[in-house]
Amino acid sequence: MKKFLKILGKILLIAGGIYAALFAVFFFDLDGKAIFHGVEPFLVKHYDKMERKDPLKAPYEMNKPHIDYGTK
Amino acid sequence: MKKFDLKKLKDIDYKKLAKDFWYGKPHGERRLGDLYCEKTGLYKHREWRGFKDTMYYFNMIWLYNYGSIVAEVLKSGGLEGLPLFVKGLWRYRWIGQAYLPVLHWFDRGLEGMRGETLRASAWHYNAMVGVSVQQILNMLKADANMHGGKHNDTWKHTIAHKETLWGGVFYPWSDKFQNVPMEMIPYFVTCHVNNHTVLNYIDAVQSIGLPGDPCPMCQAEAGLFVLDDMPDYAPFMVSTNEACDGSVASTVLQEWLWDKPLFAMPQPMQFDDPLVQEHCANEIRELWKFVEEQTGVAPNFDLMNKRLESQNELQRFEWEKWDVAANTNHYPINGVAQALYRIYQSQYGDNPIWHRTDKRVRKIMEKCVEQRIDTFPKTRHRVIAWSCAPLYYSNWCTWAYNCWGLNTIINMDSLMFNMTIRTDNLDNTVLDMARYHEWAPMRRMAVGGMHHIFELWEYMEKFHCDMVMMYDQLQCKGMQGVHGMFEDEFRARDIHAIWMPHALPDKRTVSRSEIRTIINDYMTTVMHEEPIDPSLLDFDDSQGW
Repeated sequence: MKKFLKILGKILLIAGGIYAALFAVFFFDLDGKAIFHGVEPFLVKHYDKMERKDPLKAPYEMNKPHIDYGTK
Repeated sequence: MKKFDLKKLKDIDYKKLAKDFWYGKPHGERRLGDLYCEKTGLYKHREWRGFKDTMYYFNMIWLYNYGSIVAEVLKSGGLEGLPLFVKGLWRYRWIGQAYLPVLHWFDRGLEGMRGETLRASAWHYNAMVGVSVQQILNMLKADANMHGGKHNDTWKHTIAHKETLWGGVFYPWSDKFQNVPMEMIPYFVTCHVNNHTVLNYIDAVQSIGLPGDPCPMCQAEAGLFVLDDMPDYAPFMVSTNEACDGSVASTVLQEWLWDKPLFAMPQPMQFDDPLVQEHCANEIRELWKFVEEQTGVAPNFDLMNKRLESQNELQRFEWEKWDVAANTNHYPINGVAQALYRIYQSQYGDNPIWHRTDKRVRKIMEKCVEQRIDTFPKTRHRVIAWSCAPLYYSNWCTWAYNCWGLNTIINMDSLMFNMTIRTDNLDNTVLDMARYHEWAPMRRMAVGGMHHIFELWEYMEKFHCDMVMMYDQLQCKGMQGVHGMFEDEFRARDIHAIWMPHALPDKRTVSRSEIRTIINDYMTTVMHEEPIDPSLLDFDDSQGW
């Protein structure tokens, strides 16, 4: 029983610590600051460097049905 | 070293300090503007709303929503959901750049909110996040770009359509096929969450020669395809001319770059003539034929009726909400939550998440009415917002309430799909579905004819509003045409109206700061009022999300 209470106490202590740390992240907007100053610029650099299809090379007439309007 | 002044400690009003800690500072003493970091819109620290509301925000909004995003990813994507989401985030700019700061979207919309207002408004945001995650995962699961160019079974069972086409027209196939709007998640929602992303798409479409003056919504929607940032998630697409013919122009580019079989479902701009109703209904029937041809599956009208009834239930609750908003001061939903939730829900169509949310909100709203809670106690003016709102500053109404006591009761987009759909026989149902389309956002009361645009006066009276926030979308040719007529009417009816210029998703044309200045100027020079929170009058959030 004593051992169980000791383990439970430790678990509660760790959980309390995590909860307090998360509250600090929330209250001081550390998530927002990390995304704004770190994650977003990093991702933007990646997206800007990505190779992309050149839209102007896309042919227009593909798989379109041929419609005979009988005008000739 | 600075000497510690004991006298200062003695001067502190500890009773007031304890009261502020427990209940939060009263409106007027909050100085919310002091919380911002210069330019970024980030917070030095998030707002202390009193012990109970701060802990609610931390546990039930911040933690809960981060958790529910992960849960929704797993629910919608199964075990492969998380790696697929990460892969998608790496591939598509609109996932990584736009959606990571989603909790800041909550922050901006919910600034200064307390008690039941905080709770009900946050549930609306939670619902929008849930449906957005569902759509992201639905796209990614089907996306050939995510699966080495292969067209998997999910791809074959997905229907792509323009975001301005109401998802309800696909109810007859909803047991076997999912419908995912093309631009709702990559474009529309991103503008509200992080307005940086959309600028890439606007610039992309202009880079291939499109002039800068067409509607920036249509520009951005086409720009997604020009920048090759669109998942290949469906075998065919359905387009429409909703909200106006600008959408037809964007579809021309989309069709060219996506190269898929296309069905165009136009609806008339001027729809009051009863002769056009049959024509519109036939357009929907033609669409059903097209879907049947493409999928090989016949429409299930019993299923459609069931889904329509379910959607009607959402509409009936919306009417109850409007009733409380119009006739009491116990309505617990703030202007931005009301506007975004309603336009999202009614445009996208039926979804269990909307029902779950409405159930929660009903409970809160009934509590407010029963206990006669004044949900916006600092209201000085009841505002109706008309025409199309700036997507990059949809939370202006939260700012306007905190700074000036301008309480946005209702807005034009909320009032659009203001109808239930009959399910007694197919003819009536299709006629009502056509009508529903004609009453879409930016259609009925923006380009749908004078009679509907001027429904403003009727709704102003119904919702007991004494002020109009008149959106002025500078690149909407339809609304520009009636600007002068509104000016005349405002003058003739002696209505206080503030014109808010903006360029829909593009913050570079009229900045958020300029919008605030316009409102500030009107409130001081015309209304001769003092701000409730002067710290919010002028601050720089030019780089903010």
